[in-house]
Amino acid sequence: MGPESPRLLVTGASGYIGARLVELATERGIDVIVLGTPPRVQELRHAHAWRLGDRPPEEALRSLTAVIHLAHSWDADSECNSSSGNINLVGSEVLARASFAAQVSRFVFASTTSARPTALNSYGRIKHLTETRLMEVPQAGQRLICARIGLVYGGPERGQYGLMSKLVRLAPVLPMFGLDREVQPIHLDEVCEGLLALALGALPGEGNGLRRAYVLAGPEPVTFGAWLRTLRRALTGRGIILLPVPVSAALLACDLTRIVPFLPVVDRERVLGLASTEPMASAADLSALGIKIVDPSIRLADFRAERRRMVAEAAAMLDYVSRGKIRSRSAVGRLVRGIDRYGGGRSLGLPRFVLGCPSFLRAFEPLRRHRGHRLAERLHLAAMVIESAQRGPQRSCRNFGSILGQAVTEAVALPFRLILGGRFQ
Amino acid sequence: MNATGFDADVIIIGSGPAGVSAAFPLVEAGTRVLMMDGAGGDGVAGDDEIAPWKKMLGRELQALLPEDGLSPKLRAPTSRRIVGEFQRAGYVRGDGFVAIGAYARGGLSQIWGGFVCEFGAEDLAPWPCSVDHLRPSYAAVTERIGVSGSATDELSDFYGKSGPILPPLPLGPTAARLFGRYVPGRCGPGFAVGAARNAILTADRPGRKACNLSRDCLWGCRRGAVYDARFDLAALARHRTFRLVDEALAVSVTARPGGWDIITGDGRRFCSPRIILAAGTLGTSALVLPLLPNPPRVLRLLSSPVIAMPILVPGRLGRAMPKEGYSLAQLGYRLSTGNSSADYVTGAVYELAFLPVASFANRLPFSYPAGMELLSAVAFALLVATGYFGGDYSDNTLEWSRRDGRCLVVVRGGFDVSLPNKVTEVTRRLRRIWRQLGAWMLPGTSLAPPGTDVHFGGPFAMGLGLAHGTTAYGELHAAPGVFVADGAAFPSLPSKYPTLTIMANADRIGRHVAARR
Repeated sequence: MGPESPRLLVTGASGYIGARLVELATERGIDVIVLGTPPRVQELRHAHAWRLGDRPPEEALRSLTAVIHLAHSWDADSECNSSSGNINLVGSEVLARASFAAQVSRFVFASTTSARPTALNSYGRIKHLTETRLMEVPQAGQRLICARIGLVYGGPERGQYGLMSKLVRLAPVLPMFGLDREVQPIHLDEVCEGLLALALGALPGEGNGLRRAYVLAGPEPVTFGAWLRTLRRALTGRGIILLPVPVSAALLACDLTRIVPFLPVVDRERVLGLASTEPMASAADLSALGIKIVDPSIRLADFRAERRRMVAEAAAMLDYVSRGKIRSRSAVGRLVRGIDRYGGGRSLGLPRFVLGCPSFLRAFEPLRRHRGHRLAERLHLAAMVIESAQRGPQRSCRNFGSILGQAVTEAVALPFRLILGGRFQ
Repeated sequence: MNATGFDADVIIIGSGPAGVSAAFPLVEAGTRVLMMDGAGGDGVAGDDEIAPWKKMLGRELQALLPEDGLSPKLRAPTSRRIVGEFQRAGYVRGDGFVAIGAYARGGLSQIWGGFVCEFGAEDLAPWPCSVDHLRPSYAAVTERIGVSGSATDELSDFYGKSGPILPPLPLGPTAARLFGRYVPGRCGPGFAVGAARNAILTADRPGRKACNLSRDCLWGCRRGAVYDARFDLAALARHRTFRLVDEALAVSVTARPGGWDIITGDGRRFCSPRIILAAGTLGTSALVLPLLPNPPRVLRLLSSPVIAMPILVPGRLGRAMPKEGYSLAQLGYRLSTGNSSADYVTGAVYELAFLPVASFANRLPFSYPAGMELLSAVAFALLVATGYFGGDYSDNTLEWSRRDGRCLVVVRGGFDVSLPNKVTEVTRRLRRIWRQLGAWMLPGTSLAPPGTDVHFGGPFAMGLGLAHGTTAYGELHAAPGVFVADGAAFPSLPSKYPTLTIMANADRIGRHVAARR
């Protein structure tokens, strides 16, 4: 990589936002260095062992352009509520001081739209305290930007978004609190674009003092109830009945989720976080950064179509490798989850006739499988899912005819594989 | 902390096989021992039934990863989780080397293959101690962990029998057929095959049940038949002088008056006059190097290059799939490869019927359905044999750098230039031997990438007089009071499985430390 390509340091890179940010930045040819646990998609070569509170290693800070600091320790919130010794506060300051000393031109701190001294959740209070603390670090005026992020949705179902999508899928009736609170949904990719623009793009006031905070949140607030309906419609295609519940009851319910089996555990923090959202004006900030916000229902509709393609492809692959024996929805679900985690999480774009008649997949199998061949890797995942769906390794004494049949098919498919084997790399 | 200002008389870093083995003689002598465990306390799995897919892929689908050339054992969900955590922590990295270690409770014994054997006089030639020195320790460890195998067949002396040996498990039908054709001496001098020696129970014990041939070995025996250091932790916890500290990942060791300070990743500090390092060869190396006054930048790391060869037993084709069995080693073999008695290759023979075949299908030139069909049809006639080459055939270097008081280790993997010829020769001879036993060796013998053997040793060799090395009892020359009790102190690595010797050597060091007090 040439000296002109920017070098970006990311903390919290294995998280919901971090993993996508690293992926997006790498795609654009940005040299990404990771502090702490790296996301799965990235090679470990550019990662440095680090925990919030550690001084970052010299090597990681060398000739950096910018830092995006996403790491947040949730344990610390519950342990010492907003006290000044909180590791999020101390750790962020240590990181900022080291970055400023290393002449980093921008330091983007991921904050939240609920960052207020009076926020109900300690997350909001801690983020507010950290913002204040970072502003007091020398040189902060020229280098520090706080990105106040709204309600993020889209992409892999993790974090707050993962919890909400789990909840709306659960049942057609959902007791919920704070339905009339206003939230500002913003897509994961839009947040990442925004963070990259803040870290590396041209900003007004550069050189003689940057704006302290930018709001990365949906420009038009919607009520939380309306948002849950949109989400339910997009993820399941169905409607939902929402029963209003007071916050106190919701907090009680949270405590119950720890005890009752089969329910996703909901942290009190999450509830308090939602209950304390207040809309912040964001349209001006977004346009200054050149971020276009696409209507969430359109984004989610695209997402749903893409999911359907992935499910259809996974079902075809299972059908093909198992020779029609494994078709259960749970096995398809496991394969989709596997592809989400390890296979890049996008559909391959297999042609319609292959989805209709999965046996044609044989024509697209490469003769030599090399690492990173996407179709071959997914078929391997499918083979593993199939074996695990049967009760352990299953063997049966097959008749000679079926092996002969395979041999003939294999011979017929050979020329096609030679020609088409490179299609879905 | 008590009046002496120390947290314990001895601190042991690591709760794996070496750590627990060093701890027993100490606590039995009344020494106050504090053991630091890098992870939390997940207990041993209970005897409950879980869905097959959860067992094979893991609740979080950890095992569902694209093919990466690892053995079936290392692809199992628990291995993925434990080794993944070790690698992602980033203190030890491999370059052309699969850096395998564990911060988990019980260390790598959670995911080991269970083969145990003693080193003989010829293996211990470069060592500062003899077979007689190790024998009481072998006996104690063998009795404690529970070992089954044959005490009477041709290999029983080669594998050693210092301790009690439980009767062996029944052989799987394919392995039995191969073994049934064997008569001592039939395959020429220098070759012998016999029952595998596994740390698996064939009789119940308090807290552990005998193997019931449920075929679950690969995914964690839920009966506790296969040894795991966590069983020993439970026994150690009954001693009043033993204390286990969870979530204490040691990242550095520094000198203090009269002893040593150990600092954990989250900034806690523990101190004692003596320390026993048992964090696994790679983990221990990362702790020792920054503590030496003048350490070399590059050290040699021994590993045991390993080959895997598929073997077809045609007489088994078309027979029924066995209902029960186990996926640990069925047979062990030894093949002399030179004039010296220390020149040999050993390995084990596994039944493929009990292993998942998806990853084997991946290596065939056929499409997936054809490959799976073929393998399913012949799996119960297939064996897989491994063959280990001694540490001299490895050529790995361990480099390190210091950063903020921590040590980052990079291992560069490689093989000695003489290895390819040796592999060809051994493969050729074994092909003939399997043929004599009525089996065919199939094409596809492969040399595993460096590191995947997980037989490591060498950096701080005992008794070789290296400045950065250790005494005959594993005590660092440059840091008296710090003992290296795992593979990192091995002066040599023979072809044999090293775990039992790691444990026996740790026991020997533990006895020495206890006696010196």
